[in-house]
Amino acid sequence: MLLLALAPRAWLRLPQLKRLVCPRTPGGDSLRMRCQLLSRQGPAETGKQGQPQGPGLRTRLLITALFGAGLGGAWLAARAKKEQWRQQQRTEALRQAAVGQGDFSLLDHRGQARCKADFRGQWVLMYFGFTHCPDICPDELEKLVQVVQQLEAEPGLPLVQPIFITVDPERDSVEAMARYVQDFHPRLLGLTGSAEQIAQASHNYRVYYSAGPKDEDQDYIVDHSIAIYLLNPDGLFTDYYGRARSAEQIADSVRHHMATFRSVLP
Amino acid sequence: MAAPSMKERQACWGARDEYWKCLDENTEDVSKCQKLRSSFESSCPQQWIKYFDKRRDYLKFKEKFEAGEFQPSKTSAES
Repeated sequence: MLLLALAPRAWLRLPQLKRLVCPRTPGGDSLRMRCQLLSRQGPAETGKQGQPQGPGLRTRLLITALFGAGLGGAWLAARAKKEQWRQQQRTEALRQAAVGQGDFSLLDHRGQARCKADFRGQWVLMYFGFTHCPDICPDELEKLVQVVQQLEAEPGLPLVQPIFITVDPERDSVEAMARYVQDFHPRLLGLTGSAEQIAQASHNYRVYYSAGPKDEDQDYIVDHSIAIYLLNPDGLFTDYYGRARSAEQIADSVRHHMATFRSVLP
Repeated sequence: MAAPSMKERQACWGARDEYWKCLDENTEDVSKCQKLRSSFESSCPQQWIKYFDKRRDYLKFKEKFEAGEFQPSKTSAES
C-alpha cells in the first residue's frame, strides 16, 4: 500500500526535481558539468538545498523500480500459472482423445515384437503407409526423416524415434519392411503384423486404409489417410501433421512440444 | 512382387517427369512423346503408371480450376 501511494508521487515530481537541480541558464561547459554532477548527487545533497521534502531522488527511483519489478514479477507469475494450467488442460484433453488410445502389438523389421509401452520415454514420429506406394509415402517418409535429422543435429534435444507402420500387411512382410526402411534412415523402425494387428493399430490412430483392385501383376494401390503423428515420452498422442506441413514447420512444432513437456506418468 | 527400391523409384519418377515435361511442351499431344512414354512405362510398375496418369489428369484439372479456366460442361450446367 505504501508503495502504491509513493510511486506516482515520485514520478510526478521527477521533472520538477530535475529543473530545480539544474537551472536552465545558458552557460558554458563548466556549468553543464556542474549540473550533471548535481543530478547525480545523492538524497542527502538534494535535501540540503532545502528543496522537496521526504525521500530523495535515489530513494524515489528505487521505490519506483521496486514497484515496477513487483508488478512485472506478479504479471509473469500469473502468466506462467495460466500457461501451466493451459498445458494441464491440453494434456487432459489428449488423454481422453480418441486418437492413440489402446495398445498395439506388431513386429519390427528385425522380427522383434513391439508394443506401445516399448516406446515409453521416447519422442516418436509415426507414419502409416505401404512399401508399394508410388509417391506420397516416400515423400512423407523423406520429410519425416528430415525432421528427425534436423532435431538430431541440435545438441541437448532428446532423440526422436521414427516409425513407419504398414497398412498393407498382405505384402509388407518383415523382410519387405527391412528392405524398405533402410533407404530412409538408420533408426527408422518398420512395423508390420497380421491383418488383425494392423487393423487394430490403424484403428487406434484413426487411420483409414483400403486396398484397391488388383491388376494382372497382382499389384494394387492402398488408399490411406496421410498424417504424421507425434507421440510424447508418455506415449500420449500429442500432435499430427498433414501433407501441407513442411519439415521445418514440423521440427518447430516438435521443439515446442519438447520444451513444454511435463510427464504425467507416476 | 517386391516393392521398387529407392533407386528404382527415383528412375521411375525421373522418367515420369521427362514424359510429363514433353506433354507440357506439346500441349498434351501423346503422339509426340511416344519415346518418353515407353521409357516411362519400362521404368515404373504398371500399377504406378495407371496411378500417375490419373494423377496428371487430376493435377491438370486442378491447375485449370485454380486459374479460373474451368467451365462446367453445358449438360451439367443445365441439369
